[in-house]
Amino acid sequence: MTPDQLRISAAVVVAAVLVSIWYLRDVDPAPWSDGEIALLQSLWLENLPELPPDATNAVADDPQAAGFGRLLFFDTRLSANGAVSCATCHQPARRFTDGLPEGQAIGQSKRNTPSIVGTAYSPWLYWDGRRDSQWAQALSPLEDPEEHGSDRRSVLEVVAGDANYRSAYEDLFGDLSELSAAEETGIDTAFANLGKAIAAFERTVLPGPARFDRYVAALLARDTQQQQELFSADEIRGLRLYIGKANCMQCHNGPLFTNNEFHNTGVLSAAGEVPDKGRAAGLNEVMRDPFNCRGNFSDDTDPRCDELDFARSGPDLIGAVRTPSLRNLEGTEPFMHKGQLATLAAVLEHYNEAPDAMIGHNEAKPLGLSGRELRQLEAFLQTLQAPYSSQFDSM
Amino acid sequence: MIDRQIVIRVASLALVALLLPATLMAHGGVVEEDDLCVIKVNYLRAHFKIYQPRISGHEQFCEDLPAASESVFVMEYQHDSLSFMPIDFRIIRNVTGKGRFARIEDVHRISDIDAETVFYQAASLEPDVYTVLHDFAEEGDFIGIVSATHPDTRKVYAAVFPFEVGFTGWGYWPIILGLLIIIQAQYLLMSGRLKRWFGTASAVACCLVLLPGVAQSGEFVVTYSTPDGAVEINRMHSWVLHVATAAGKPVTGAQIEVDGGMPAHDHGMPTRPRVTRELGNGDYQLDGMRFHMGGYWEIVVSVTTDAGTETTVIPLRL
Repeated sequence: MTPDQLRISAAVVVAAVLVSIWYLRDVDPAPWSDGEIALLQSLWLENLPELPPDATNAVADDPQAAGFGRLLFFDTRLSANGAVSCATCHQPARRFTDGLPEGQAIGQSKRNTPSIVGTAYSPWLYWDGRRDSQWAQALSPLEDPEEHGSDRRSVLEVVAGDANYRSAYEDLFGDLSELSAAEETGIDTAFANLGKAIAAFERTVLPGPARFDRYVAALLARDTQQQQELFSADEIRGLRLYIGKANCMQCHNGPLFTNNEFHNTGVLSAAGEVPDKGRAAGLNEVMRDPFNCRGNFSDDTDPRCDELDFARSGPDLIGAVRTPSLRNLEGTEPFMHKGQLATLAAVLEHYNEAPDAMIGHNEAKPLGLSGRELRQLEAFLQTLQAPYSSQFDSM
Repeated sequence: MIDRQIVIRVASLALVALLLPATLMAHGGVVEEDDLCVIKVNYLRAHFKIYQPRISGHEQFCEDLPAASESVFVMEYQHDSLSFMPIDFRIIRNVTGKGRFARIEDVHRISDIDAETVFYQAASLEPDVYTVLHDFAEEGDFIGIVSATHPDTRKVYAAVFPFEVGFTGWGYWPIILGLLIIIQAQYLLMSGRLKRWFGTASAVACCLVLLPGVAQSGEFVVTYSTPDGAVEINRMHSWVLHVATAAGKPVTGAQIEVDGGMPAHDHGMPTRPRVTRELGNGDYQLDGMRFHMGGYWEIVVSVTTDAGTETTVIPLRL
């Protein structure tokens, strides 16, 4: 080797060492730029707006209705076999989900049980948005043969035959007339009222502040020490990926970490099933639902049904499902609309790959994140764990 | 992946060449177009793909499937009418004896189609997209039959596509091999090497009609020139066609219709070119020519004189 060659190879070695040190450095990746702080604030639970009013449900904010609704929510008598309540699948201890790929009640439901935490903010309910209010949604499982397997008349008979229920009902909605004599519309109205009571309870179920929210508070207060106590370097890097190159905020945005809109993300079909048409089918169903905003059972005397009137249709909705919140994912696996992906790591890997959708078009693009970055992203998502909050603490 | 695509392209090219009469007579089938797999139910088209999600994840298949497994058939309509037509889907064992050349007529000749049916999905209206699932119990040769019923006329449109599940034979390979030999021979011919090797004038003469610029069909010889310079893709330009008799006498006063397309991709030109004026001496001004992708094109020229109409195909590689 000539002296020149020696010098060059020495320089290469030094450069390699420097690059390695730079890559492996574990310096605090904060501070955040002003633009990033604005994004973090947009996700902050403190910025969650007030509960949107539900004009279609006159008892939506009535605590008495919420109390009655809560009893109904946990009552297994409202099922064909006397063993299924709303809480069979929407278990409070599991953030109102059940830890199963697809809900198990009388039979097997068609999709993964979605949480009800914060759904009062969503214009659409269900993965495919086939209902447009919490109360219209609450009615549907009662009559689904695979879920409660009951029917409106039987459910109302339980209410009429229980002295406490009957008086709670009549205080809120007036006389629960003799069911045998009641006309069909009378039955339907009374049935809708039960949904409205359940919805009044569900409206109170909201996410609680998580470690992430405390971190943002510390950041805004410029409390460096508390920031360091709250977030590790990996969690900060994961958060930066979340609001940046991982594109998560295209859909999982706002304080609830969801836009409550419909997106096709190319998830593989569930075993033994054709690919789920998602919103394309759900939109048709919500338009036909007699309990929708335009229906006769809405309490809004001057109904404006903007959500239905301006609902988007078209091929983009084929295979699209509603974006779920990313708050409180712990214990809610498996994920996706049919529970196809067992772990958060598998979900992140899926988005990193962004494969072509089986039907429709996958909106996501491959991310090209490294394994390390995916782990950082996952570490950040863990900081969104928090108990849900409700005025009903006893659950 | 690239290799596979090329092989599929070549295979579909070969199929177009070999099965053109069959394709026209049948009511429809599955073809590769522009890396998309398309099913044609008569004039109704849909993007067609098959998945085996349990063993192959998101990988798409056009016809043949690697193994007996849960298979999801997807048709994404390119023609809205299919949204309003009840569609039924049947898979039968391929007992036609025609292998992958089986046509709808062959299917009609099967005496007891139900006995050969391994899967049947009754007619249903599927807006947006059509999907069915069949879990194949065994490998073998099958035929898929898609039928769509027009709601008003009650006319039934059908597409038939033979396919294999698992490796059950040589499939397309002999055709591909044959085609590769032809392509290689053609290349040698065009490059003049064959001529140098053999010095046979007859070999060149036999293939002159394939050379760009000249097309011959019986009575007329159609040649073209491009006064705007060499043909580029994505640019509107003009041609001058020269029509002459086989003896070399210019043909004047002819009505000329021009159309074209890419046989391998099964699509036409992006424009509708036409002869705008006759220049005299057998020359015709052809305006509105444009090609929107590179590859093998065929320009179809119909020359009508008092003697009748004659159609000539000009091959063109861009």
